[in-house]
Amino acid sequence: MIEFRDVSASYDGELAVLDRVSFTIPNGDFVAFVGTNGAGKSTTMRLINGLLKPTAGDVLIDGVSTANLRTSELAAKVGFLFQNPDRQICCNTVREELMFGFKAQGRECADAEGRVDAMIERFGFDPDAEPFLLNRGTRQLLALASIIVLETPVIVLDEPTTGLDFRECSKVMEIIAGLNVRGTTVIMVCHDMEVTADYAKRVIAMTEGHVVDDGPTFEVLRNPNTLQRAHLLPSQIVDISMRLGDVAPAIASSSIARANSLDQMSTAIYEFISSHAGTGASPALGSDEGLGA
Amino acid sequence: MKGFLEYVPGDSVLHRMNPVAKLVCALFISVACFCTSSFMLLALILIIDFALAASCKMTRQAAQLAKAVAIFSVVLAVIALLTTPVGTELVQLPWGYIGTGSIAAAALVLMRLVACAVPLFLVMYITKLNDLANSMVKILHVPYKYAFTFTSAVHFIPVFMNDMAGIMEAQTARGVEFDGGFAKKVRLMVPLCVPLLVSSVRKTNSAAIAAEVRGFNVRTRQSGFKAYPFSARDVVALLACVCILALAIATNYVPIP
Repeated sequence: MIEFRDVSASYDGELAVLDRVSFTIPNGDFVAFVGTNGAGKSTTMRLINGLLKPTAGDVLIDGVSTANLRTSELAAKVGFLFQNPDRQICCNTVREELMFGFKAQGRECADAEGRVDAMIERFGFDPDAEPFLLNRGTRQLLALASIIVLETPVIVLDEPTTGLDFRECSKVMEIIAGLNVRGTTVIMVCHDMEVTADYAKRVIAMTEGHVVDDGPTFEVLRNPNTLQRAHLLPSQIVDISMRLGDVAPAIASSSIARANSLDQMSTAIYEFISSHAGTGASPALGSDEGLGA
Repeated sequence: MKGFLEYVPGDSVLHRMNPVAKLVCALFISVACFCTSSFMLLALILIIDFALAASCKMTRQAAQLAKAVAIFSVVLAVIALLTTPVGTELVQLPWGYIGTGSIAAAALVLMRLVACAVPLFLVMYITKLNDLANSMVKILHVPYKYAFTFTSAVHFIPVFMNDMAGIMEAQTARGVEFDGGFAKKVRLMVPLCVPLLVSSVRKTNSAAIAAEVRGFNVRTRQSGFKAYPFSARDVVALLACVCILALAIATNYVPIP
């Protein structure tokens, strides 16, 4: 479990980027941090794995303060995937890269070799390939694999889908979702509301170093007040429901408004549009102003 | 806080000086340091260095810089100490001896390097790189290609330092312990030069392509809009620096301790 207790943080003691932030992430959760650049999301991630120490408050990992642990000790508990894989990759072959974490942590053993082999097979890597000659998406996958192979109970991902195309993005996120299903706590910074809506169970919205909302993904992402305060754009499905609500007040009492998840909302919108298509019941839906088409 | 060699905005007299005048003044002072062996004059130049830094509120940066240069100069000072057998013998060595003159030579190396480095680096902190490059092209007729190369090299220093910090951070997050002795740190940092090199090559390649597609090769000396006229303060500063240089040369003929 990860616990932030009134945590404040700054860089070089000059600029407070986090101000008395508190939250708890239980084991097995899948949390996405959303907000604009400078909101304090990446700083929060750096606090989790001890790359940054809080100026006030305490960050606890399984009840132990990160202030009492070295970053290298925390590496065995928290895996960290950086936005830029090129900062992480430093070995001459894919196989060496996957073994690097075990070597750094002094955990080289036959079991490690076996896990590396399994990871190579699972991701379809060429073990002798030079990592820097791989394409961007594959380098990101390699960076992710080199974290996953260590089997840390917590994985922190700083914008894992940046620079990836849709297929690569889906592949990365499916792997991460699979880890979460098997019990790994996933904490992710993400600017892509679609990815957040599709995969995260919980969203923490931040702005200017404060948490403005914390709750189930669906509740946070359809809260207009949260979206406004955190300067976020809603995901497409929420956006459509909002626009439908604007042009057809009847929506407010329909199954769309009563939906409890994004899946339910998508289904309700589909049914609503299907039932009204061609009936002329809601002329505004077909206009440019209505759906912004 | 600004990074290493990054321009720090200000409105001091030094900030407002002509970029070329600043550069030439710094060069005169640096040359003067190598033209003299007088401790008194080097001490005077150091005082001038820090007075200039203080005048543009850069004392802290100048002190940090002096410290860094002094640390690197220690190697040269030790070499001077071991290879300059001058003065009264203090320690016998297989190839000579360390004498009182050897200590003086080592101290001279340290003082000389610190005194000459501070003004040169100060120029970087108080001059926009673009202004420096453009004025060199306009006034000194340096081909823009070379001015751009110089400013790009300086511009990339903090970028690469930032990259290296990021790479070390990423490896720390994977369990590498950089805390420890200097030798251990160096041993751990060597493999990290690979990602730094790759990122540097990618960055410079991107910068070169970006410059090319924006018409880098069609630029001429007349392309720059901004003018860099000399003012009275530039002339006074240049004359003062010429005097320092002349004084440094004179110390070779009129001995000063």
